[in-house]
Amino acid sequence: MRRFKPWLLALWSMSALAASGEPVVVMTSYPEEVMSRFEEAFSEAHPQWRVQILWRQGYDALPWLRQPEQGGVDVYWAPSPGNFERLAAENAWQPLGVDLRGLPARIGATPLRDAQARYQATELAGYGFASNPQRLLQLGAPTPKDWPDLLDPRLREHIALPDPARVGYAPVLLDIVLQAYGWERGWALWSELAGRARLVSRGGSLVSDEVASGRSALGLSIDFFVASAISNGQPVRFTYPVHGGLNPAHIAISAASKHPDGARAFVRFVLSEAGQRLLADPEIRKLPVRPDVYRSLPAHYPNSFRSAQRGTFAYHNSSAERLALVTSLFVQWLGQPHERLNALWQRIHAGEAAGHDLSAVRACLSEPPVSASAAEAPALLALFAARPSAGMDSVPTSEQEPLGQQEIAWQFYSAQRQAEAQRLLEAMGL
Amino acid sequence: MNTRCALLVLGLLLSAGGHAEVQREAFAQPLPALASDAQLDQFFKGRGLFRQAWVIAPSADESAQGLGPLYNRITCIACHPRNGRGQAPGDSEAPMRSMLVRLSVPGTDAHGGVLPHPVYGDQLNENGIPGVPGEGRAHLDWQYSEVTLDDGQRVELREPRIRFSELAYGALNDVQTSARVGSAVFGLGLLEAVDAQTLQQLASAPKADGVAGRVNWVWSVERQRLEVGRFGLKANQPDLPQQIASALHGDLGITTALYPQQNCTPAQIECQQAERGPQPELDAQRLSALHFYLAHLAAPPRRKRDAAPIKQGEQLFSELGCGQCHIPRLTTGQHPNYPALSRQPIEPYTDLLLHDMGAGLADHRPDYLASGREWRTAPLWGLGLSEVITPGAGYLHDGRARTVTEAILWHDGEARPARERFSALPAAQRELLMGFLRSL
Repeated sequence: MRRFKPWLLALWSMSALAASGEPVVVMTSYPEEVMSRFEEAFSEAHPQWRVQILWRQGYDALPWLRQPEQGGVDVYWAPSPGNFERLAAENAWQPLGVDLRGLPARIGATPLRDAQARYQATELAGYGFASNPQRLLQLGAPTPKDWPDLLDPRLREHIALPDPARVGYAPVLLDIVLQAYGWERGWALWSELAGRARLVSRGGSLVSDEVASGRSALGLSIDFFVASAISNGQPVRFTYPVHGGLNPAHIAISAASKHPDGARAFVRFVLSEAGQRLLADPEIRKLPVRPDVYRSLPAHYPNSFRSAQRGTFAYHNSSAERLALVTSLFVQWLGQPHERLNALWQRIHAGEAAGHDLSAVRACLSEPPVSASAAEAPALLALFAARPSAGMDSVPTSEQEPLGQQEIAWQFYSAQRQAEAQRLLEAMGL
Repeated sequence: MNTRCALLVLGLLLSAGGHAEVQREAFAQPLPALASDAQLDQFFKGRGLFRQAWVIAPSADESAQGLGPLYNRITCIACHPRNGRGQAPGDSEAPMRSMLVRLSVPGTDAHGGVLPHPVYGDQLNENGIPGVPGEGRAHLDWQYSEVTLDDGQRVELREPRIRFSELAYGALNDVQTSARVGSAVFGLGLLEAVDAQTLQQLASAPKADGVAGRVNWVWSVERQRLEVGRFGLKANQPDLPQQIASALHGDLGITTALYPQQNCTPAQIECQQAERGPQPELDAQRLSALHFYLAHLAAPPRRKRDAAPIKQGEQLFSELGCGQCHIPRLTTGQHPNYPALSRQPIEPYTDLLLHDMGAGLADHRPDYLASGREWRTAPLWGLGLSEVITPGAGYLHDGRARTVTEAILWHDGEARPARERFSALPAAQRELLMGFLRSL
């Protein structure tokens, strides 16, 4: 990627300083609705400061913030935890320098700021199940409460599963299950679920659209997508599973900020009660990180801190390379051969319904290509840490490279094990 | 239509129309005519582009790069919130978030259109990418007045005065200005399908009260000829692709095959020297997806149209003379791209013609044949849902009217007799009229 010329950045900074409005440059990846509401409310609360939004997807923000002068950015605010961690290690943040009283350092297993308070969570999004009550009623299936409930035979072909290779939030869904149930049992659940579900390859809101339309009775999603659909009158509900997870969106002030006072004012505002209450706007619908704010929200508004006390959010956010690894594993092992996987699981379920013991066949489809300990090997994780990414899509690697060779090996494993499952089924006349 | 599409569309339609109290997605529905997976895919692709945040090039986000060098906002949806109208800032120091100010100097360009300001171009771009100073800030200073209706009710009106600050490229002297809020973007494909002959017939049809109405003739960049104008507040764009490409270019700084040059004037050196990504920044395929999306966004259906008070209000609408310009019903002709939009009865409540609206609304900025006092008749379909979907959105070209009543009271020129009849109505009848307008 080419970089901006330093003199252009300097000129931009000078022009910004010359302006009486002194724009605070906020880099974010939030949708228009979030940006507009916060920009407007901040300007009203602090008319002396003007905000200029510099929009960058999470994967595209790192190169920008690593430029000289950090690309003129004063504040980075985004639901990309890995970026904050990586840049903190590079001393890219200055101390926040704002009063953090009333803001817990942790919710469930999720830390809400780093030990030096260089970045702080501003809101949370919860993972869970979007459901269409009418369609569930038609299917005679209860609303699933936790992940194993998704394997209810009545839900077969009625679950929309966001493709982890294409939908940004989906890798964490994989990881929540792997953490909650362990590597082997977790992957067995994913194999069977993938074998019953339809892979949805477009953006998150489409899962809500598909569930609301009744095409799927259930979909795996994030709470704010579904809450937005609900507030728009769509016939859809959201359930936080017993084993849930949260994605925090942090905020930090760049070490090179030219407007630290304005940046600090913006951070204070986002974390203030007024800023936190904005999160409940029907256009935003995120979970505040200031527990006191929940008291002023409608009674039905989900209280993430109360849920955490019940143990709902025991998930600990994994590193970017771990998420890239589990995504790739899903794609190579379960995603690419999805059609065949689906057909095999259908035969297994039919056979079991007829009273056959198909545990050996199940094992062929359920045992992942790598063990839990192998998946934690630094050398393997390093391959994924180095993987270039272009948004939702990982850049394909060549078979000449170690990463490409690894992924091909997983594909080959998948083909072998599926062939073995098929052989076993045929041997039993199924 | 296969089952998947039927269910998806039905669900979307139900979500808009099935919940009387919650209709916030009513401006975001596809026309029922969409009949295949491929069409729905194209619709959703266009929807994604309309909501996409554009980023500064160079970027790893290749499909979204190209913002600026000068721009107003970074998404289309910013100026058309929930596909509805934008809003004028009530505070003169508040930034314009869903509106902009058009600029020009006296005279015309080679095709009869506006002559852009030699330094600032044809609209004020408040923002610039790094290294390119934004052009400055526009403010609306409000002047307030009061109108008394015949029954004694007083209505406060406000009128904006445009003021500039922080001008980065020198003073803006002798400039023609026109403040514009973003327009609603549904129903546009059907309006595109109204054929030119129909518009000319409407223009030449005899009308009462001195109402005239005329067609604007504007330049088609693609076909390199003058054509009937139908989009834009002064009907200065001939078709939807050009309207879309023009807005992308002017508001976001996105180049297309129709507008391949960056939006920099010769005097804006930093703008001209700014780094750029692959050109055009929006290719023909994606422009086509945006066109498809906007062409197939349905206007919301009317509600409670058969209720007696609504029918009484409708009758009043006609008796006051409103329907001479806000023509209730039209039939589309042949759509150039999408047959499903052809020969459809529609209820847009517009004639798409230019009318003299009087001195109070004049922007004194001619645009092709449209004089400074002339504006295209605003379509009224969806009007009744505006308060639900985009509360606070302004009416009229610059968002000055905070209510429909205020908007009516600004009508002058050819619309003066109709406005005077409205002012003379007793309160109960005015409410019947408003009830009808809320049903649109």
